[in-house]
Amino acid sequence: MKDFMLIFIGKEYTDLGLSPEQMQERMGKWFAWNAKMEEQGVVKHGEALQPEVRRISGPKRTVTDRTAAELKEIVGGYYMVKAKDLDAACKIAQDFPDYDLGNTVEVREVMVFDNY
Amino acid sequence: MKNQQLIDHLFRHQYGKMVSILTRIFGLANLEIIEDAVQDTFAKATVLWRTKIPENPEAWFTTASKNRVIDLLRKVDADKNRIKKISYGPSAISFNNLFEKEEIEDSELRMIFTACHPKLNTKDQIAFALKTIGGFSSNEIAAALLLKPETVKKRLTRARKAINEKKINFKFPSKNKLPERLHSVLEVVYLIFNEGFHSNHQKLLVRKELCGEALRLTKLILSKEELRCGTSYALFGLLCFHSARLETKVDENFESIDLKNQDRSKWYFPLVELGNQAMLKAADYIDYSTYHIEAAIAAEHLKAKSFEATNWKKILELYQELQQVQNSDIVSLSMSIVLIQLNKNQEALEILQNLKTENLEQRTYLYYGVMAKYYKSIGQIKKAVNYLDIAIEKVPNQVEKNYLIKKRDRLIVL
Repeated sequence: MKDFMLIFIGKEYTDLGLSPEQMQERMGKWFAWNAKMEEQGVVKHGEALQPEVRRISGPKRTVTDRTAAELKEIVGGYYMVKAKDLDAACKIAQDFPDYDLGNTVEVREVMVFDNY
Repeated sequence: MKNQQLIDHLFRHQYGKMVSILTRIFGLANLEIIEDAVQDTFAKATVLWRTKIPENPEAWFTTASKNRVIDLLRKVDADKNRIKKISYGPSAISFNNLFEKEEIEDSELRMIFTACHPKLNTKDQIAFALKTIGGFSSNEIAAALLLKPETVKKRLTRARKAINEKKINFKFPSKNKLPERLHSVLEVVYLIFNEGFHSNHQKLLVRKELCGEALRLTKLILSKEELRCGTSYALFGLLCFHSARLETKVDENFESIDLKNQDRSKWYFPLVELGNQAMLKAADYIDYSTYHIEAAIAAEHLKAKSFEATNWKKILELYQELQQVQNSDIVSLSMSIVLIQLNKNQEALEILQNLKTENLEQRTYLYYGVMAKYYKSIGQIKKAVNYLDIAIEKVPNQVEKNYLIKKRDRLIVL
């Protein structure tokens, strides 16, 4: 088994103008997905991120403050999962609830270094 | 991990509760900030509850909204004094008590009275009530009322503006104004219900939500002693009776099914029972309203084992009574249908000829539909078809149009 990171990228719910009813529905889907992964024992952990973004860039270490609303897409959170290979990890990501909102999942394998 | 299910519409209902409590603290002038803040709390819950739903979700919202109040306090400096008054004023209710069930209901009721304030335009009242108490988003309101989202946004803005400009307070009406103010509240609730019940919206779910919201609001009104009266109980009874038939009004293709062809075994009788209880309670009070009469009409229909078994004579009497207190063209129109059922065609025609179709506005097509019914009843099929053609041309919504087209095509075959 290898470790994979599922990275969630897209718009924040508040910026999409979701209603309370829609948010409850979304939450239910996330809950069901998480429960399924826990049952299968594939999820290691996950975190959600605050929408405030501070970017540091360039040799001068220029700092810019951004909010999710200003950015086309931001990283909203991630899950660390265990899977046989990339295909299996992508299969887990099928249940991500927000594809219909235009949000995406990036699936990346965690690099393992051999101890020589 | 507990696999806990949330109560249906919990978020939506909590939205109304939290906005109401916060408005009681910060005042109507800060309504927009409040609504944004509450929305943020939901976004937080949506993320936080992905892995574990709290044991008591409502309590979580209460705590979150309290914390949000404190956040808001830091941002809205000017209101610092107001919160102090609420917390420490000798006669004022303590801050924590505001989050107890009874006080939450009290705040929600204040919001209902605000939304239905006579100084607001009726159309704005409906949109505003659905937003602030119902927790519907403007897109959802637009979809439910078959309006453009921009129209709803305009109405909401206009309502907020009117509240500020006309200095409407977040308070219960004074005792001498209460009956009148309650009357306009009940009317808005009734209109919300009608939007769900009569709109022929394609989606049954949307219609159910509007009707359900109207029922919830009426229940909330009845939870307060001072607001219980014959009129409010009768409205609740009426809404229960109508709701019992809601599911049988459309078929699986979203086409309307008229009363004659509805599957009466699918009417939801527990709601009928609830309506009966409400009508009994209504009889304990001296006030009497059009809702009483309308409920009696609805009850007559529900009593009939089949369409043919309907007591049209009794229904006609009720319509005559209704017309005496509320002489509207729509009542006359309904009455003429009953007269046709009773084969009193000449009387029906007299009423129809005296109707002012322009008063029916977007429901003018109903008049032409009844004219067609009249001519069919006296055996003049060709004329009936002609009138159905006009009805088809005038009808604003596709579901109803399909229904009329089918009806016409069946007549042509005759």
